[in-house]
Amino acid sequence: MRRNPGFWYALPMIVLMLLFFAAPLAIVVWYSLMPPRTFDLTGDIGLQNYRTAFGDGYGVPLMWSLIGAALTTLITGLLAWPTAKILHHHAGRWASIVTALIALPIFISESVRLFGLSIFLMPGGGILAGTLNALFDVQIGTFLNTRFAALVGMIYIHFPFMLFPMLLGVAMIPADRIEAARDLGAGRWAVLREVELPLAAPGLLVGGLLTFVLCLGANAEAAILGGRAVTVITAAIEQRFNYAQDWPMGAALTVLVIAVTAALVFPAVRRIDLNRIIRR
Amino acid sequence: MTHLPPALSLTGLTRRFGTKTAVDAVSIDIAEGEFFTIVGPSGSGKSTLVRLLAGLDVPTAGSLHLRGRDITDMPANRRPTAMVFQSLALFDHRTVGQNIEFAMKMKGVPPEARRARALELLRLVRLPEDYYPRPVTQCSGGERQRVALARALGSDPEILFFDEPLSAIDYRLRKTLEVELKELHQRTGKTFIYITHSLEEAMVMSDRIAIMRAGRFEQIGTPDEIYRRPHSRFVAGFMGEVNILPVSQAGGGAVFTDLGLAAPGAAGAFAVLRPEAVRPGGDAGVGFDAEVTQRLMLGSRTQFHLRAGAAALIAEVAAGPQADLQIGQVARFSFDMADIAWVDA
Amino acid sequence: MRGGRHILWLKVLWVGTVVTALYLPIVSVVLASLANTRYMRFPHKVWTLDAYRAAAADYTTVTLHVISLQIAVCVVLLSVTLGTIGAMAYARHDWRGRGLFQKILVLPIFFPQPVLGLALLLSMSALGIAPSWKTAVVAHAVWIVPIVTLVISIRLFGYDVAQEEAAFDLGASRWQVAREVTLPALWPGIFSGALFAFLLSWSNLPLSVYTSGADTPLPLWLFSRTATNYSPLVPAIAVIGTCVSGLIVVMLLLMRRLLAGKNQPV
Repeated sequence: MRRNPGFWYALPMIVLMLLFFAAPLAIVVWYSLMPPRTFDLTGDIGLQNYRTAFGDGYGVPLMWSLIGAALTTLITGLLAWPTAKILHHHAGRWASIVTALIALPIFISESVRLFGLSIFLMPGGGILAGTLNALFDVQIGTFLNTRFAALVGMIYIHFPFMLFPMLLGVAMIPADRIEAARDLGAGRWAVLREVELPLAAPGLLVGGLLTFVLCLGANAEAAILGGRAVTVITAAIEQRFNYAQDWPMGAALTVLVIAVTAALVFPAVRRIDLNRIIRR
Repeated sequence: MTHLPPALSLTGLTRRFGTKTAVDAVSIDIAEGEFFTIVGPSGSGKSTLVRLLAGLDVPTAGSLHLRGRDITDMPANRRPTAMVFQSLALFDHRTVGQNIEFAMKMKGVPPEARRARALELLRLVRLPEDYYPRPVTQCSGGERQRVALARALGSDPEILFFDEPLSAIDYRLRKTLEVELKELHQRTGKTFIYITHSLEEAMVMSDRIAIMRAGRFEQIGTPDEIYRRPHSRFVAGFMGEVNILPVSQAGGGAVFTDLGLAAPGAAGAFAVLRPEAVRPGGDAGVGFDAEVTQRLMLGSRTQFHLRAGAAALIAEVAAGPQADLQIGQVARFSFDMADIAWVDA
Repeated sequence: MRGGRHILWLKVLWVGTVVTALYLPIVSVVLASLANTRYMRFPHKVWTLDAYRAAAADYTTVTLHVISLQIAVCVVLLSVTLGTIGAMAYARHDWRGRGLFQKILVLPIFFPQPVLGLALLLSMSALGIAPSWKTAVVAHAVWIVPIVTLVISIRLFGYDVAQEEAAFDLGASRWQVAREVTLPALWPGIFSGALFAFLLSWSNLPLSVYTSGADTPLPLWLFSRTATNYSPLVPAIAVIGTCVSGLIVVMLLLMRRLLAGKNQPV
């Protein structure tokens, strides 16, 4: 056991990442520099697609995606924090069951769940409207096919992705620190601000980042629940690729999303010590 | 005495990590059936040394002979030695029995024979036979120690290595296990090589002790020799609280620098003086007046912290009327020159 | 504490609401599958299992499952193999560059999946590779292998490496160390990793959308049929697909139990 074999164990993964993660991204970047509506990779390099991207109103889908991701992150965070605190505080049989129940839907396809949400909210004969009508003779409308519906869908799908890292974060708060803070005269808010949030920060950061990034690319929610009310960036890219047959333009938009993602992920990943979270 | 080759013979054994030398040309012969203990602070290279002996690491230079046979390049799985690890390294996914039988299974011993031997070993380490099918994860700290010991013995090793196996055990259990280990050594007659940072632990069990410092053996001797005649302040410091008095040459002869008293027959730069050698009253060789600055009850003895001139000393006095001194009191103390161990560094 | 009871009830209410909200849409799918009309008017006039009969008779159901299954099985094999090896580099060995490796490994997890799918589609098209279920396997793997690596690493962090040295010291060869100590100790992690890989691949939509080409896995078919050409067949197949994945997981768990029982002494 003279030489440390760590590198050799890492090698297959490094190869996988280079071939199927780094290389595709590099190709996309290269494509984005090609003249519009070309399909080969040997044209003259230029920034024309990026100029078009900002000039031609593609900023709007990107903005909707960013707003959607930010709102979803904020709202799932607010919903997940009390849930995580309760589950951690009452750890035991019931909490485990509830935790498992919350985890389970992650493994049911989001197309199934979003479809379910849409038939639940459907006006007239939808599950909710139909039930209320049959039982109480109440007629309700719907917010389906609005931006709000897409947001609800995003919150619904991404809640577990926020909750589980947050649970790990909450588990990193030793109970005695809260008691010590109380003993030293801290009120509820002070405890939250001075003790709980800083100690749980790694989990919050991971959960927030995960939710934000996943939402940035999310398009199924807008497609199934949002109707035509909103075009998100992924839909715009897909549109460039498939219908407009303008690959370089699609690639340029993709690069913009990648750039936003990288700007968020790189500083965060540098700061988070995943080892410490995982080791627990 | 017949001329048996030493159980283990180290010649210039060296291990370097980059520019750092963890084990620095250590040479020693360890006799057959000896209980040999290596004591050192963390970072002294003792763990690296035992890993070299067990074959878990390869020396940069030097050689290693087991009963006259060169085993320097033999990997651990072929050496007829076994180690009890600091973390114990029990196989947590296996039962007590499977742990003990591991080495036999590797050798291809049939299951019935393995089982019989494992039960025998359980008795040897004083564990009930019904522990055999238990998962090791259900064992207490002391029981895990015994399982680790039985597992090492299960390979029928010619030499057993111990890498601080008792360091994480509470005081009372540690005392019990120390005695059991010593008895086990006597019963099995095997060569034990033991690593610890506690000289106290080493004293209880060992035939011979090596004090290790910065990759070298600072002193090798019987527990009695180490206790009575430490070769350096470093060794003396390992024995817990001890008075170390600097000596200087002034005028005609040697004096205790801080006490300002003559030190006739001084044979080194420092006098090492055990606390119990400093006694109240003036009847011994060197007497001085000292103020009691602290008084600590240690059970059967009382410890006094003393100030005499520029010197701070510790004295320990057996319970009795002599121990009836209070803080702030000035009293006469004395010690015998014969109780001093002289060291130069 | 005064009011402790009320707070407890509030907590129960909150958690109950969260769980209910998570499951209402899923229950809705089941309810929708019990209708026989193309335009749903809930409550149904006729409650029927017709849609399930139709699904069972329709060959599409089988095709969808086969495609999803072959993708998932390949992803499981790939991610368990690469994940176990990768976890060694992630958690078992300390080596120069490990810190960087650990950070790079998580990048695909923190990456918008549809964007990854699109990037893969574009580069494969540029290289002249036609998208099919095989390219979907690759796309899934880029995202799932790092997750499985982390799952196995969790196990590896709680594992005393000295166990391997102890086995080696007790006469085991390198191969015996791997077989007798390392793999059995890692087995729970590897198994969880396999379950994760299977379920994540089976239910994945955003990566499959752009990379599976003409081969349509279950979630993708459901996604396209909810938008156009809806009938109760859609929720029925959604329910069947979810149950099939559940059944496969239960079978794997049972198999594991049987295997564990065989290895354990009486």
